[in-house]
Amino acid sequence: MKLTDSMAYSNPQEMMFGFAQKPVTTRRGLVIGGGSVIAEIVPHPRPGSEKTLHTLLREFERANGDALERCVDIGTPNLVLENEHVFQMTDDAHWGREIAALSIRQLDEFAEQYGLKAAYRATIADLRKPDMVNIRDSERTSKVLEAFDACAEYADILSIESIGGKEIFDHCIIRNDITGMLFAQGVLGSRDMAWLWPQIVEIADKHGSIAGGDTDCSQANTAMFMAGGFTGKALSHSLAALSRAMAVGNSLVAYECGASGPGKDCAYENPIIKAITGLPMSMEGKSCACAHSSLCGNVMAAVCDLWSNEAVEYHRMFGGSTSAVFSEILSYDVASMNTAIQLGYQREYQACMVASDRYRSLQGFILSPDNAWAIGKAVVDNNQSYYARTLAAALTCGELMLADPQLYFTSYEKESLAGYMTELEKLPQEEEDFIDLCLHKYAQVKGFLPQAYGL
Amino acid sequence: MKKPPHNSPIFTRYDLNVEDRHHQGARKVSSDLLLQRVADSLVTGDEDETCMAVSQALNAHKPLEIINESLIPGMQEVGRLWDLGNYFLPQVILSSDAMIAGITLCEEEMGHSMERKAKVVTHTAEGDIHDIGMQIVNALLRAGGFDVISLGADVPIEEVVDACRIHRPVMLTGTALMTTTMTAFPRIAMRLKESGLDIPFVCGGGALSEEFVTSFELGIWGSDAAQAASMAEDALSGLDWRQLRAKWNG
Repeated sequence: MKLTDSMAYSNPQEMMFGFAQKPVTTRRGLVIGGGSVIAEIVPHPRPGSEKTLHTLLREFERANGDALERCVDIGTPNLVLENEHVFQMTDDAHWGREIAALSIRQLDEFAEQYGLKAAYRATIADLRKPDMVNIRDSERTSKVLEAFDACAEYADILSIESIGGKEIFDHCIIRNDITGMLFAQGVLGSRDMAWLWPQIVEIADKHGSIAGGDTDCSQANTAMFMAGGFTGKALSHSLAALSRAMAVGNSLVAYECGASGPGKDCAYENPIIKAITGLPMSMEGKSCACAHSSLCGNVMAAVCDLWSNEAVEYHRMFGGSTSAVFSEILSYDVASMNTAIQLGYQREYQACMVASDRYRSLQGFILSPDNAWAIGKAVVDNNQSYYARTLAAALTCGELMLADPQLYFTSYEKESLAGYMTELEKLPQEEEDFIDLCLHKYAQVKGFLPQAYGL
Repeated sequence: MKKPPHNSPIFTRYDLNVEDRHHQGARKVSSDLLLQRVADSLVTGDEDETCMAVSQALNAHKPLEIINESLIPGMQEVGRLWDLGNYFLPQVILSSDAMIAGITLCEEEMGHSMERKAKVVTHTAEGDIHDIGMQIVNALLRAGGFDVISLGADVPIEEVVDACRIHRPVMLTGTALMTTTMTAFPRIAMRLKESGLDIPFVCGGGALSEEFVTSFELGIWGSDAAQAASMAEDALSGLDWRQLRAKWNG
């Protein structure tokens, strides 16, 4: 497979929320990335509701229905509804199919009754934990693909949060080992994606569904969540930022295999992916605080096409159920962005969102559109191998952070970043040499099976 | 692009405000140069250097002396620096790895395993494959001197109960990221009670709340992986699950 060698956008100023170079139209006629931002609501079932298919169906029926009703009540013009599979929905494809069918019936009812334009994204759970099964050849692998096939019949968009490389990543991240993280994200994750995604695209094509995209959630978000806020002591923010840049080499593979967007919401690397591919991307920030905190709540909206809440568990609040409340929050978020577009203030509005977070944190800094674009450029200019482009992304990310005098570091962060950069600069030039080094270094990591990655 | 002026009231970098308070180095743990070298290398998390220092110290000291007078006090220093906010988690994990490697060398010299404080069984809930939290708990418990029986991720309820029956741990831990998997925990607690195993069952992870974990017998909510070793110490000292819950929750 030829790795991407050019940028979709010739400069970062061209990038804007609501506009993708290559918009996507769902089979229900919803255009994503075609000039406006659309809310993507993600309700999540309560614990216990997964007991039977009947109880889970009832839970989703209520959660989805509340979201759709609220959209109609407040005049939201369009919507993407996402159901992220809980274990049982992928483990038994029949469950996933039934819930997808139910969701589509609900969307169609609201479309017929009110004219609400909506799409449904089914995100399959990646059950293939690399240290438990051979990710290319196991019962769990078959179940994942079966669930895709079952849901593609109904879903407008298909996605997954794939977890190739996770066994090495988890071992390395808690040991400050950036070499291993690069191996996990850049080499193992990418190789797994290159194996998995052609199959997903084929299934989507067969059913007329859209192969949306993937995310390096299992790795880069683990790093971001561990780094936490300003008082977090689990991980340095500089390592989390480098991990975010390295996620690009991984997530990009899905699009190189034929995924067409919209990318998955929790891929915080999506501003970089959009800069490279020009495809529409879902993103999340302030309105996903229900799922997790972040230090980039506003800047993440700067170039989004869908705006998501990540996941909110279904409960009652004073203002209604959580799925209704978050549909309303997202609706007003996107209404502001779309108003800015209509009034011609989008550039100013984008500048406010970027300036809010650019110097708040390293993650916010590197995901600001100009830096995101620069990291993307390093990726496409170093397309000799998965390894080369991932290493280039990390080095460019580090250089950008060190070069901006307005970005302040604690002494620990500064020392840490200097250490990571030194380590990265000493790594081999060639991918084969790097793989040899890592196969030797991580041979003893529990459950690591090189042949599961074709190594 | 226009940028707001420096120090504009958009956000406050509290991490910069407090960073000066964290500067404290490790204290000396031994007046013996060889033992201090072992502790120093452990505190810096250098596994290779720790092994070399231990090998050298074995020429002059008994293995148990090295364990008790440099490896364990060194790890206690790491714990102190972590408590102070001076150390980050990876530094603790690397030191823990170094300590375990050092102890292994001492055990080889002794010809038998060092006695651990007690057994703790750890697992991640059935249906949940997110086990990084459990890995952190494992490392911190091992660093604290406990014998960790790690059952891994996505562990069926019966397997957890059987492990408790076989190993009779002082404590059981369960982690869950997904709310739809945490329902395994009350079922495990019920099975343990039915089997007459009143083992404190510490449950933690992104999905869990104090309200949920304290709604079933044996359950103690762990809000942070860093609490695991102290909770195990409490269990070892004889606190039962009710006393542990009273101390750590509520």
